[in-house]
Amino acid sequence: MTKTILTIDDSASIRQMVSMTLTAAGLDVIEAVNGQDGYDKATTNTVHAVITDLNMPVLNGIEFIRKYRQHPSSKGIPIILLTTESDEELKRQAKEAGATGWIVKPFKQDQLLAVIKKVTGA
Amino acid sequence: MNISDPSETFRQEARELLDQLEAGLLDLEQDPSNNDLINSTFRALHTIKGSGAMFGFTAVAEFVHEFETAFDRVRKGQSAANKALIGVALDAKDHIHLLIENPDAPIDGGASILSELRVIVEEGAIDEDGEPVHAAPVAVAAPVAPVVAEAPKPAENGAKVWRLTFYLPSDALIYGTNPELLLGELAGIGPTSVLALSDRVPTLDVIDPETSYLGWQVDITTSEDPTAAIDDVFLFLRDNMELTLAPLGGADTPVAVAEAVQAASDDAMPEAPFVPEPVAKVEEAPAAKAAAPKRKPAEKAEAEKPAATSLRVPAERLDELMDRVGELVIAQARLSQIATQSSDGALKTIAEELERLSSGLRDTTMGIRMVPIGSIFSRFRRLVHDLSNDLGKPIEFITTGEETELDKTMIERLADPLVHLIRNSVDHGLESAEKRIAAGKSPTGTVRLSAVYSGAEVAISVIDDGAGLNHDRIRAKAEENGLIAPDAKLTDQELNHLIFAPGFSTANEVTALSGRGVGMDVVKRTIDGLRGTIDVSTTPGKGSVFTLRLPLTLAIIDGMLVRVGNGRYTIPLAAVEECVELPEGIEANSKGRNFLDIRGALVPYLRLREVFGLKGEADAHQKVVIVSSGEGRVGLVVDQIIGNNQAVIKQLSKLHSGIKSFSGATILGDGEVALILDTAHLVASGQSYVDRNLGRAA
Amino acid sequence: MSDTKGYMTALTIRLEDELFAVEASRVREILDLVPITEVPSARAFVGGLINVRGRVVPLADLRVMFGMERPAPDQDTRIVVMEVDIDGEPTIAGILADKVHDVTDIESASIEEAPKVGMRWRPEFVKGIGKRNGGFIIIPDMERIFETPGGRSASAAASEERPAA
Repeated sequence: MTKTILTIDDSASIRQMVSMTLTAAGLDVIEAVNGQDGYDKATTNTVHAVITDLNMPVLNGIEFIRKYRQHPSSKGIPIILLTTESDEELKRQAKEAGATGWIVKPFKQDQLLAVIKKVTGA
Repeated sequence: MNISDPSETFRQEARELLDQLEAGLLDLEQDPSNNDLINSTFRALHTIKGSGAMFGFTAVAEFVHEFETAFDRVRKGQSAANKALIGVALDAKDHIHLLIENPDAPIDGGASILSELRVIVEEGAIDEDGEPVHAAPVAVAAPVAPVVAEAPKPAENGAKVWRLTFYLPSDALIYGTNPELLLGELAGIGPTSVLALSDRVPTLDVIDPETSYLGWQVDITTSEDPTAAIDDVFLFLRDNMELTLAPLGGADTPVAVAEAVQAASDDAMPEAPFVPEPVAKVEEAPAAKAAAPKRKPAEKAEAEKPAATSLRVPAERLDELMDRVGELVIAQARLSQIATQSSDGALKTIAEELERLSSGLRDTTMGIRMVPIGSIFSRFRRLVHDLSNDLGKPIEFITTGEETELDKTMIERLADPLVHLIRNSVDHGLESAEKRIAAGKSPTGTVRLSAVYSGAEVAISVIDDGAGLNHDRIRAKAEENGLIAPDAKLTDQELNHLIFAPGFSTANEVTALSGRGVGMDVVKRTIDGLRGTIDVSTTPGKGSVFTLRLPLTLAIIDGMLVRVGNGRYTIPLAAVEECVELPEGIEANSKGRNFLDIRGALVPYLRLREVFGLKGEADAHQKVVIVSSGEGRVGLVVDQIIGNNQAVIKQLSKLHSGIKSFSGATILGDGEVALILDTAHLVASGQSYVDRNLGRAA
Repeated sequence: MSDTKGYMTALTIRLEDELFAVEASRVREILDLVPITEVPSARAFVGGLINVRGRVVPLADLRVMFGMERPAPDQDTRIVVMEVDIDGEPTIAGILADKVHDVTDIESASIEEAPKVGMRWRPEFVKGIGKRNGGFIIIPDMERIFETPGGRSASAAASEERPAA
């Protein structure tokens, strides 16, 4: 079955790049523009992994992770946080909230693919 | 399928973000402790930096980095968003804009903006009690420098077996970690032999199936030190898992990777700590002479666009769509024509249905092209803000009607004329604060920009409460430039309109801002080109109102088809108020004054046969179509009213575009061309007829 | 012009009793007479509009510019739809022709400048006069003819030079 990845980022250019990279690798991609939109889409679609930005309006990345993890459908779904900071405190918070891993921006396409492969096997 | 370049998407995105940033900064200036604004400003900078770095705009990313840091400090309450910071941030925004449009060209000015920023940040530092911190530069919390894990051991000669034992954190499964995948990655390092450790698995009655209890013992055979590779496998888990690694057999000491080790990931970005440079000269924040532009409450969106419900489409696609809809409308009109003349009932029904559908399609498509004029209003805030600072005149800038929608292409062409008009009002219309006080006015001048629908048109006004147009000066200048004869009698309106004549200027000195006032004739020409009109009314000492009237749409309109002589003409239906019969013998009764009495009001009328220079006898029972434009009305006398039609507006070529009575042409159902009447011009003609005859009206 | 080729590929048309040549490469199509919508207050030269495949196209009557008689159209009358430059901008316009002949090559060498005096028509509208089959063909200066009043004539005249044929 083709895996579906949800990508949440308020930047259209990032979403586009992630989408292009992942679909070229044979994955399906759903896009969301902020944490709330991401939550709505994550809980109403079948997703196999979520990539989310940190700084977003309405609901930021960590808030999204917290909220999503409270929903039963999030069990076992890897969540990758995109962050421009290698702030250890931030990573700790993210993990505490329920993130599975992170990617530091700016990242190259193959780095993205490597992380996705790591957490989903796809 | 459209695959566009993400870096071009970034550019567009960055442009929008920069606009948002500017608006946010201007708002923040009014409300420096508004956390939402601070956060959204920070976010905008953050996104530009992050995405910029992603798509190769490194100069942008580097430049923005410091600003992001500065606003992060503001966000954390360590620094104030004072006027100086806003000012330099606005400069930075301009610089970023340049960098985005020209990523390859070396652009100067960035360094000086940054050094100004550093000074301002120092100056604006505040401590926990909100008190300004002086003297010592405040260092930004430096991010953790990367710590490299244990130095890799020298590679062993032969293959060795390493035993790795690990337990995952109890929530690992819920949080998306897949042990199978981890084991698979480990197998990539070398042949493995895996043993599951169930020592921590509780009894069935207490087991929580979602908790990770299992451990694993994995023996990996590899000739190289696997420490780094194993670090990589457990990249995301190292901090809170248990892991031990030791080579089996051999005398080497086990290398234990303890729990919660602060191992840095391979992709940590070292960030230089923010070091403010010592400065020799303290820069003063520019004196706050300008009163702030007032922000309209509630009207302004809370910065959040309904992003999930909008779509980005290249403009050419829209134009293409419009063309096709236009062609469809023409073809449908021809079908309707044939259906009218046919006795085939089925054909008639389908033609009617098609007419309904194409009308709906037309409306929807036209709607897509309509954009709220607020999209250009916002840039004027910055303009007035800067003008106010530069001229030292306190100005209040008010906008209304931002939601008024216009055709997209028209809005773009309006930007320059409006800039000219606003500049003109600020520069020449508004007096200095002292003069205003002397005249008994408030020292803060007001410039108001408004947009409102009016029949088939939209009226955009620039209103100032300045000194008004000085008719004596206008007259003197016009005579000086030979535009009018010295003893010519001119109405106030005619004097006002002289300012639009080419080469005219009453500015006492050429100001850098408005030039010689040459903008005005260019403004008029641009508005003419949009088939609009420009009007000005003024009261000495009180102010002036410049009003642009523009047709609502450039593309398809509902029209009323009329016949004058042998020719057929279309009148925009939105401009039509009513139709009446021309009273018999009206010539005789009105004694040569062409006025109609419409329910007590006198409405001038024009005989189109005369306007068009047609010879021959008019039909009996002529009709009058009363059209309006702005405040004025005129009756157009035609031979016959044929009916309604949808007219796809075709522009007239240069050979005919100068003829004022017509605003375009359209193709009728039978394939012939019909000219579209320019009602605004005809109303104006009627109006000047009224003006000239007003004294003699009954 | 077409000097590089050494000849001009021209569509010859007849106006009254004279032959004219227009640049064949600029001709889009040739139509039979279609209904013409009169434009009130327009110059006599461009007094009408026609529908060409859903496009509103101005109709020009060169006979006006050459001071010729203008009898009513007959069955030989055609409309030549072509691209002309108006004040430097390419535009599609229709040209009335009493008769359309053929497409022919006119040797550049045979094109002479119009004599300044003694010619029936205004020399500024004539780019050159060519010879073909023993007769004369007038090559009109379309840009000049189509120039709008207040167009570029002043500056153009100053800088224009006729390339030698």
